Amino acid sequence: MVKKSKVLIVDDEELARTIIRKYLADFDTIEIVGECGNGFEGIKMINENKPDIVFLDIQMPKISGFEMLELIENPPIIIFTTAYDKYALKAFEVNAVDYLLKPFSHERFSESVNKAITLLKNKAAGSKPVEKLVNYNSSQKEYLERVVVKDGTKVFVIPCNKIKYIEAQDDYVMIYFASGKFLKQKTMKFFEEHLSEKEFIRVHRSYIVALSQINKIEQIQKDSYQIILKDGEKIPVSKTGYSKLKKLLK
Amino acid sequence: MENPILENVKNLYVYILFWIFITIIYIILLHWESQVDLGTVLLDGVVSFSLLGGLGLSAWYSVKYLQLDNSRAFKLIFSHVLSGLIAAAVWLFLSYSVLLFVLGGETSFKSFFSNTLPWRFLIGLLFYFMITLFYYIFIISKNLQEKNLKEKELRNLVTEAELRSLKFQINPHFIFNSLNSISALTDINRERSKTMVQKLADFLRYSLQNSNRDKNSLDEEIKAVELYLGIEKTRFGDKFEFAKEVDETMLNELIPTMILQPLFENAIKHAVYETTDKIFIKLKCKEENEMLKIIVENNFDCESISKKGTGLGLKIIENRLSLFYNRNDLFKVEKNDGLFRVTMLIPIN
Repeated sequence: MVKKSKVLIVDDEELARTIIRKYLADFDTIEIVGECGNGFEGIKMINENKPDIVFLDIQMPKISGFEMLELIENPPIIIFTTAYDKYALKAFEVNAVDYLLKPFSHERFSESVNKAITLLKNKAAGSKPVEKLVNYNSSQKEYLERVVVKDGTKVFVIPCNKIKYIEAQDDYVMIYFASGKFLKQKTMKFFEEHLSEKEFIRVHRSYIVALSQINKIEQIQKDSYQIILKDGEKIPVSKTGYSKLKKLLK
Repeated sequence: MENPILENVKNLYVYILFWIFITIIYIILLHWESQVDLGTVLLDGVVSFSLLGGLGLSAWYSVKYLQLDNSRAFKLIFSHVLSGLIAAAVWLFLSYSVLLFVLGGETSFKSFFSNTLPWRFLIGLLFYFMITLFYYIFIISKNLQEKNLKEKELRNLVTEAELRSLKFQINPHFIFNSLNSISALTDINRERSKTMVQKLADFLRYSLQNSNRDKNSLDEEIKAVELYLGIEKTRFGDKFEFAKEVDETMLNELIPTMILQPLFENAIKHAVYETTDKIFIKLKCKEENEMLKIIVENNFDCESISKKGTGLGLKIIENRLSLFYNRNDLFKVEKNDGLFRVTMLIPIN
């Protein structure tokens, strides 16, 4: 017997899930292992059921489809289903196989599922997983408003204005909040680009600081400075970082 | 532009009065200081300053010709110094000739005139500059007034355009998501899909029809809200409940078109979209202090951090209300203890 592909449907609208379920009935090699209506449950179900393919809505309660993917290691094949066309580019950046615009036709849906199945077969045959299809330098700048982080199995959504500073740690960054710190698999460059430059500044190769948290800038030696945060913590400042700060404070 | 002094009789009177005043001072001072007899001084003052007043009127043409904004500073100053000198010379020549003619060639006058010549010249020059300055100030203030007036007109136009652009626009995602629901319903429940199509059509018709109308009755607005919520209800099922408490005497009051529905769209977007809890949305309409008080409130998930768009929709409604009624105290947003409340006050005619 052929091994069936496991599918998870994540969408906050019951009817939207219904139509996916109905269209999937055409495929006898596919088995629906679960359905859920928000991002938190989505993460849980992906970790528990290890689906091969996930139909994912973007706009959902608690956390969005994109944020969900940030928190999953080895994400399965993703097919986005959404009424928003503006996320298409971003969807391919996170390795989505397809992007279905609601409402979609039966044919378009089947095409997308076939694409996913082919990809799964290739994957099983040991061929290379999908490379990043596109490496767009997102020209449309949209600043982050919140960050999602995971601590064990718990997911936290933290607004950016609660961030004190960010520290580089190898392939990760450590994000410091008033109430703690979280490790996240993202680059400093990502945060430098996606945090508002009115609120954050990169003062060092390894540090991004929230402007609102800065208490004062101290000179340690000639040409060597550090920032004292409001709660007394000290952050090193590089030469370029210092000139950036000076420009900003002018 | 007309000469401002000749523009109306009142200005001319003021101008003449000014010169009479100057003449009197001149006569008093001159009589006091010099030993010349009063008759000559009187005649001298009247003739000289009548002529100077007349010349002052014609200085308008040089000012009009040498506009501040299209002449270079050097050219301006040079021209006015030159014309000031000429004007003073012409003035002296005329007053001398006239006075000599009237007084019959008196030698004592001749020496008196030539003794005071430098002073007279200075006076002529001074008054020429004074009058020129007055004309320029007048032109500048007039331009300023015109500019203000134009700006005001422009502002009115902008306000009108703003009001038009702030009008309700259907959120395309609402339509696409609704169509997706209909698409699902056609398979599982044809009757419900028909009702949904009907509601969507009615709602779209209402919003399209009313894009050309400024005001509508509260009753109509509430009906549109109910259509909208009915559609969202099909999408979200039991995720929210709607209740209303409306004073029926208020139903015929006119309110800005499509001002109510966005509040509910806001509640759906920020409360229902963002949480897994059940949301209760409440509408209250009543009369208070000769105003129609409309309250829309809903609970929300305090922990959810809204991603974006916070406040823009509400800001638009607030702007619309303040532009519409020219007041800033008609809109209030409160957010505490997990309850979100918008209060609108609509003046009743």
